[in-house]
Amino acid sequence: MDIDGGAAAAEGSTRQVQVRFVTKLKPPYRAPPVSISIPANLTRFRLSALVNNLLQSANADWKQEPFDFLIDDELVRMSLEEFLLAKGISAEKVLEIEYIKAVAPRKQEEPSLHDDWVSAVDGSDDGYILTGCYDGLGRIWRAAGVCSHILDGHSGPVTSVCVLKPKASESVVDRIVATASKDRTLRLWKFGAQESLDQPNKIRAFKILRGHTAAVQSIAAEPSGDMVCSGSWDCSINLWSGNASDTESGLVSVKKRKKDGEDEEPQSEGEALSTLVGHTQCVSSVTWPQRGTIFSASWDHSIRRWDVETGKDSLSIFCGKVINCLDIGGESSALIAAGGSDPVLRIWDPRKPGTLSPIFQFSSHNSWISSCKWHHKSWFHLVSASYDGKVMLWDLRTAWPLAVLDTHKDKVLCADWWKDDSVVSGGADSKLCISSGILVQ
Amino acid sequence: MGPRPRKENGSGKPKNEKAEKKVQKLKEKNVEENLKRIEEAEAAAESSEDSPFLSDSGEDDDESLSEDNGSISESGSEQSKLSEDEDVVRAGDGGNPTGASDDDTDHSSGDSLGEGDDNDDYHGEDSHGGSDDSREVVEESDSSEDEVAPRNTIGNVPLEWYKDEEHIGYDLSGKKIKKKERQSKLDSFLASVDDSKNWRKIYDEYNDEEVELTKEETKLIRRLLKGKAPHADFDPYAPYVDWFAWDGAKHPLSNAPEPKRRFIPSKWESKMVLRYVRAIRKGLIKFDDKPKEEPRFYALWDDSTPAERQGLAYIPAPKPKLPGHEESYNPSPEYIPTQEEINSYQLMFEEDRPKFIPKQHTSLRSVPAYEKAVRETFDRCLDLYLCPRVRKKRINIDPESLKPKLPSRKDLKPYPTTCYLEYKGHKGPVTTICTESTGQWIASGSKDGTVRIWEVETGRCLQVWDIGETIEEVAWNPLTEFPILAVAAGQDVFILDTGCGSHEQQKKIEELLHVEPQKATDDSDISASIVNWVRDDRHGGIRLKHFKTVTKVEWHRKGDYLSTLMPSGESQSVLIHQLSKGLTQRIPFKTKGIPVSTAFHPTRSIFFTATKKDVRVYDLLKQKLIKKLEAGVREISSVAIHPGGDNAIVGSKDGKLCWFDMDLSSRPYRVLRCHPKDITGVAYHRSYPLFASCSDDCTAYVFHGMVYSDMNQNPLIVPLEILRGHSSADGRGVLDCKFHPRQPWLFTAGADSLIKLYCH
Repeated sequence: MDIDGGAAAAEGSTRQVQVRFVTKLKPPYRAPPVSISIPANLTRFRLSALVNNLLQSANADWKQEPFDFLIDDELVRMSLEEFLLAKGISAEKVLEIEYIKAVAPRKQEEPSLHDDWVSAVDGSDDGYILTGCYDGLGRIWRAAGVCSHILDGHSGPVTSVCVLKPKASESVVDRIVATASKDRTLRLWKFGAQESLDQPNKIRAFKILRGHTAAVQSIAAEPSGDMVCSGSWDCSINLWSGNASDTESGLVSVKKRKKDGEDEEPQSEGEALSTLVGHTQCVSSVTWPQRGTIFSASWDHSIRRWDVETGKDSLSIFCGKVINCLDIGGESSALIAAGGSDPVLRIWDPRKPGTLSPIFQFSSHNSWISSCKWHHKSWFHLVSASYDGKVMLWDLRTAWPLAVLDTHKDKVLCADWWKDDSVVSGGADSKLCISSGILVQ
Repeated sequence: MGPRPRKENGSGKPKNEKAEKKVQKLKEKNVEENLKRIEEAEAAAESSEDSPFLSDSGEDDDESLSEDNGSISESGSEQSKLSEDEDVVRAGDGGNPTGASDDDTDHSSGDSLGEGDDNDDYHGEDSHGGSDDSREVVEESDSSEDEVAPRNTIGNVPLEWYKDEEHIGYDLSGKKIKKKERQSKLDSFLASVDDSKNWRKIYDEYNDEEVELTKEETKLIRRLLKGKAPHADFDPYAPYVDWFAWDGAKHPLSNAPEPKRRFIPSKWESKMVLRYVRAIRKGLIKFDDKPKEEPRFYALWDDSTPAERQGLAYIPAPKPKLPGHEESYNPSPEYIPTQEEINSYQLMFEEDRPKFIPKQHTSLRSVPAYEKAVRETFDRCLDLYLCPRVRKKRINIDPESLKPKLPSRKDLKPYPTTCYLEYKGHKGPVTTICTESTGQWIASGSKDGTVRIWEVETGRCLQVWDIGETIEEVAWNPLTEFPILAVAAGQDVFILDTGCGSHEQQKKIEELLHVEPQKATDDSDISASIVNWVRDDRHGGIRLKHFKTVTKVEWHRKGDYLSTLMPSGESQSVLIHQLSKGLTQRIPFKTKGIPVSTAFHPTRSIFFTATKKDVRVYDLLKQKLIKKLEAGVREISSVAIHPGGDNAIVGSKDGKLCWFDMDLSSRPYRVLRCHPKDITGVAYHRSYPLFASCSDDCTAYVFHGMVYSDMNQNPLIVPLEILRGHSSADGRGVLDCKFHPRQPWLFTAGADSLIKLYCH
């Protein structure tokens, strides 16, 4: 087959391949399952046009749609001919090409301006985007440019934010979010989900969590929303209760704010429930993917998995580089993606026995990677942000980025998915950029 | 004695030759056996034949005289020849190892003689010429033996080679000599029994013939076997003739008494012996037990002279090129260049041009004189004796092998390699940087008069102080709980509260920094203080007013003391301040020269001051000089102490970097000449075995500097990486470099008002 392929390369454009287009998409996207003969030097773009033509022939009022193509679960990123050669696939048989909707942003929303660098963003709730900013404020954005709440209280830059998932049982209208700051505290905030005002509403934290002796670098909430963990420059990970109603244990002192004479809702202070000690340097990132396990990444070049019950680390991956961001996701939420002080986005599979070397390494960035997030629903899709000012969308099935979002003028400090089809990112240019229309099925 | 002796001679000589040949033949066969046989036979014959074998020498003499009437000279020559033969026979008998060579020579001589027989040796001596003639006649006439077979010419080769052949060899004309019909053993035995003369017969394998020894020959052999002279007429015991007549001598030849020296052992000899003995003991004279083995094979046509040739080396002249086909007068057409080729020669360089262009001539006659003949001969002469020929001593050394064996850079990871982060904000050249001990922040000072604090991970500027003067040095307090910053600018040292600590820490810092002003007023009242401690409200800290420009400020490891350096402060150039008490004191020892830099020992109470020429090490407790490190560089610019405390690096303004092992010596253990311009800063990493230097050539070098705990092992220094990226401004490049305290990262401060972070 290699000889055939070589001959094909020598013949050039005359070479034909028998292909059949298949898809898992819904009927309007389904092309007739006939095998057709196409030139082998077609690239992804031409293939996409071809499929569009096929669909248009079946359906007169078809709108053009970019597609991506999979052969043997590998995205086609070169001409068909080269791809077959590289993968050693016979060009003699009828080739089954699966097409999916191309994952690329179709729309760039108006950037939401902040007063300072946008250091953290969380888009895990479809209703709003939570951002943290270097001016010490957290912000709730309902949509691009629509800020509904300003979380005021931190005396230092907000470094990390997270959304506490409301419990399914109690259908409260109030949403709870948590922020971490360089002022060594974490704050929990509550706001009404339905409120929508013309003017942004300034709210105060209902709970202040003190305990860290150095800047808090990262915060993550338990999937159920009961607890919060945070990583800090004091090398420890603290676990906090995130429950608003659970005041008996968490409440230490209730005091009224006397600064402004007016009455305000009480601010309770909380202390750490427990501390996970083990890292020797700044804990730069924590995630809490499942109830019992916390993953943390640190500047001591390690990624650790902690058992919450025992407080011991059950897994430790050494990477050799400072790690700045970490996320768990992918196939059955088991893969670890992390980026740090080099331009390589690494992905580990801790289930893989024997070795602790990364299974994927994506190195298209040019500078430190500041943030990486898995798509919640897809096994393959990732977003990463880097200090080189670029946000990249990745698919595990190809080594090249699916899309490069170059909307930021300066370092990108944070990025996340929002509403499954948008990427939100904030950077040192004080903008929150929303790129929407990313169709990840 | 005209023809007759010649005749005699002629008849005598072949006989002798025959005898010789026979002896040779004897020797070539298994001689011993035959001789034994002969002996036995003779013993028998003695009784039967009344041969004069047992007669004494006198009879023998008579016989010989009667037989060949030869002159004395003749017999002498015979004797000599025979004595040769005797040697041969003895050699055969004794079977000693040197015999082989003797055999060869003898055989060759015999051969040549034999050839002389057949080839007409007319060019020899006259007398011999005549004898040859006569001998040939004799041979033709009577000798039946010599006629029998032509000579075998196979030479001295093992006869087994011809064992299975039909022939035994080749005659002179190259024809095969057929083997004779061999009698069966029985027949030959019967024949031998019948034949009374059988005991005198010897089979000559070489010529494949039977030879019968004559009586004389057997006699000769017998004498030889007995160990006597072969000829009977030779008297080995001739009476001694004393030619000098003593009888009439009046005086002895010398009547002098024997000199004393004949009886005393020679001094000179004993000296010589002594000298030899010493030489042997020293091993200057060696006795080679093994005999020298000469190479069995050698290149026959080898031109090269043997290596042991002494004196001026002989360099053979270059050989002239031999003429080839193209130099023929009528070369094949493929050798003849076309006109275009000839034209293209003109375009070539003189040296590349072919020397000779082949041309076709109809005949040799039409070949013109070679116009370059004189020129080429001249050149050849130059080659031969005018041009000095020098043998170039070229040593083929792989340049790689000259490099010291250093571990590969891959194994020494991690070390900073790439710049990923830049800290932008300063408006002027960044003169100094300092990392906070947790590694969260760095502080920088610039010529624009500002001090800035940056967040390491994001490159965000957290705080700016506008001091107003060029910042010479910033230094974080090494204690993590006191994030305060000492800043040297102009004639002042500021101690600034960065506000990076927690609330409790901030309170403590405020206390610490607040106590001072009261004390300061006290001090100013006393006015004995060298330095004014003033509260600085503008920047929120303390201001230490010095009387001269302060260039350096450094904290002691415990965070309470800090040293400041005023290069022009003369005796008070180095001051040590205690923050908690608000005290200032001079260092308790005199310094010589203008100090350039100072440093505290990382663990012990030792203080380093660097002047332009050397680094002095003082003990602060004993208050005395411990050591002086002499760098031997033009001007020291910076110094850094290894965290272990026993090693130091010194950067100089001529671009040299000196590593001192203070336990080893006061001279540099290694000098690295890496920067083409001034070194502006050197730094050690706190935990990784790394050190770096930065220079005005806009580069920073990173080295691996491993210090072993084993005292016997010298530090290992490996250059790792050249970090580029800064651009030059006003002729300055990188002004300072500092390592991140916990990561293998390097910060560099550039004159291009940037701070760069190089990560691994």
